[in-house]
Amino acid sequence: MGKIMLEVNNLKTKYVTRFNESVYAVDNVSLRLEEGESMGIAGESGCGKSTLALSLMGYYFAPLHHIEGSIIVEGKDITKMTPDQVRKTVLGTEISYIPQAAMNALNPTQKIIRFIENVIHAHDPGMPKNRIYEMARDRFEVLNLPEEVLEKYPVELSGGMKQRTVIAISTILSPKVLIADEPSSALDVSSQKMVIKMMRELMKNGFIKSMIFITHELPLLYNVTDDIMVMYAGQIVEKGTAKEMVFDPLHPYSKGLMGSIIVPEAGTRDAKLTAIPGTPPNLKNPPAGCRFAQRCKYAHAACKVQSIEEVRLKDGRMYRCILDQNELKEGKK
Amino acid sequence: MKGYLKYFSNKTAWYLLTLVVAVILNFLLPRLTPGNPVATIASKAVAGMTDANAIQKVYEDYTRMFGLDKSMPEQFLLYISNLFKGDLGVSFSYFPREVSDLIGSAIGWTVALQLPAILVGWFLGNLLGAVAAYIKGPVDKVVFPVFLFISNVPAFGMAIIILFVFGIYLKWFPSSGGYGFDLIPALNMKFILSVIRHYQMPFWSIVLTTIGGQAIGMRSMSIYELNADYVKYSRFLGIKDKVIVKYVFRNAMLPQITGLVLSLGTMVGGALVAEMIFSYPGLGTRILNAVTGQDFPVISGCTLIITVGVLLANLILEILYGLIDPRIKTAQQE
Repeated sequence: MGKIMLEVNNLKTKYVTRFNESVYAVDNVSLRLEEGESMGIAGESGCGKSTLALSLMGYYFAPLHHIEGSIIVEGKDITKMTPDQVRKTVLGTEISYIPQAAMNALNPTQKIIRFIENVIHAHDPGMPKNRIYEMARDRFEVLNLPEEVLEKYPVELSGGMKQRTVIAISTILSPKVLIADEPSSALDVSSQKMVIKMMRELMKNGFIKSMIFITHELPLLYNVTDDIMVMYAGQIVEKGTAKEMVFDPLHPYSKGLMGSIIVPEAGTRDAKLTAIPGTPPNLKNPPAGCRFAQRCKYAHAACKVQSIEEVRLKDGRMYRCILDQNELKEGKK
Repeated sequence: MKGYLKYFSNKTAWYLLTLVVAVILNFLLPRLTPGNPVATIASKAVAGMTDANAIQKVYEDYTRMFGLDKSMPEQFLLYISNLFKGDLGVSFSYFPREVSDLIGSAIGWTVALQLPAILVGWFLGNLLGAVAAYIKGPVDKVVFPVFLFISNVPAFGMAIIILFVFGIYLKWFPSSGGYGFDLIPALNMKFILSVIRHYQMPFWSIVLTTIGGQAIGMRSMSIYELNADYVKYSRFLGIKDKVIVKYVFRNAMLPQITGLVLSLGTMVGGALVAEMIFSYPGLGTRILNAVTGQDFPVISGCTLIITVGVLLANLILEILYGLIDPRIKTAQQE
């Protein structure tokens, strides 16, 4: 058991719309990330993946609001800190973030090195610029990025290079936890591979201690992360190791999700792709019982009324369903 | 750098070509208008004369003096060769004053009125737009719409309202002229104070109509930039909002600079409305008088100045943009 890097307990956050309506986008999420561990979060569009990523940073600004739950980093609950404390002591140094749209993540009128200076000065205002340059150059060298990139403007970089630059900047202060929100979804396959390779190198070199990787591309998660959590309508519906989740999913939603993609493994040639009918519920007023019940082919009458608790199995696996493990396994056939 | 030089030599060549075409049109267009300038001017000279021969003589004299007896191509060649010597010719209506002298005496007033008014209006407008976008609240809900409303009052309406309220009703400022009519231009306290007092109404009438237009552009650019992905990313890396706001407003300013430089380019054309309503001396009134009096050399001279101003402003803008926006520079180097 490694050291615990991040512990999240019953985190709840919401969006407040301009008409003052609340949308409960992250509901009761708990997770624990150990040193050296990488965790994948999967789910379809609009299920709350990106919102979870933002909520985990502990830095809330409108329209996102924290309701309850704790985020513990280094023994400290960052939800109890003032925003400025979080900004100064947590963001970038403890928890860092790779945004979904790296194409526009950099200020177009600023050289890369100027931005890196701003990032480092936000945490260590006194560091001289030549030190920052050396630091950035060394880090870029390790990550196989050309040094010239530092003196360039974002517009002069290709898409893949921009993404890798963003990853290098996000991890320049060697954060304990890196939250990567679909870092490769806008890239072609060869650039994706480079991004994944880079993430592995970051881990290997100890530049990041642990990682949360969010994507809708499950085969990618299978190759990158140790564990996978599946999210649906703001809740974690199942958690297990990457292998279990891909080859032996329990929760009906996970099954649907895994059934809708091809995993590049032996024996999948004959498999048929299936789709999950329907769309996720509106989270302004989430359904009372199981949130997936409306689309679930195994749903009972009880599913729609009674609230569904998490079921934790001995081996660390977790799922949120009214059925027990064996019933779920049988249902698979 | 090689691509950059090529881009600009290319551009400069195009601007020179544009200048040549503009000079030809500046010469040609006024002379194609119906009517004869000699007739108007000579009719004053011959007032009271009865001898038909003498009248005919006066007409011929004027025609010769103005060079209008020559054919159009000859006139044009003469105009061009004089232009190269820096000679814009002699005015018809203010004969024998030189055109360069007429423009020279007016352009100072125009620039002194327009340059500060445009700069102040532009600055206040952008400030208002940025504050409305960033702080929102009452600035966005009240102050901003008020200025938007004011800006949409036509320039002449605004000038007349200001003239009526502050010049005639409140009598705070003199209602016409560039300085007291009883004064002779000189560098003394009395004259300077008089100029400043006469300056206020035309100045503010231009500023007020400029603010809203600038503010609305800046506001929407700022809102756009405030929601850009790089703002969110910078925040999540722990960069202070104070620093991020600098990114945002620097980027939001870029399109606004186009507006500023272009209005500075057309500035020499004069603020016709303000000049007319406040009887303020300046190039706008000069052009108007020249057009009504068919004073060809003065029209050509003024339009030449405007042409050069606009072209220069465009060229400066291109160079400036390459320096302040790397995206444009990359495009220029390709």
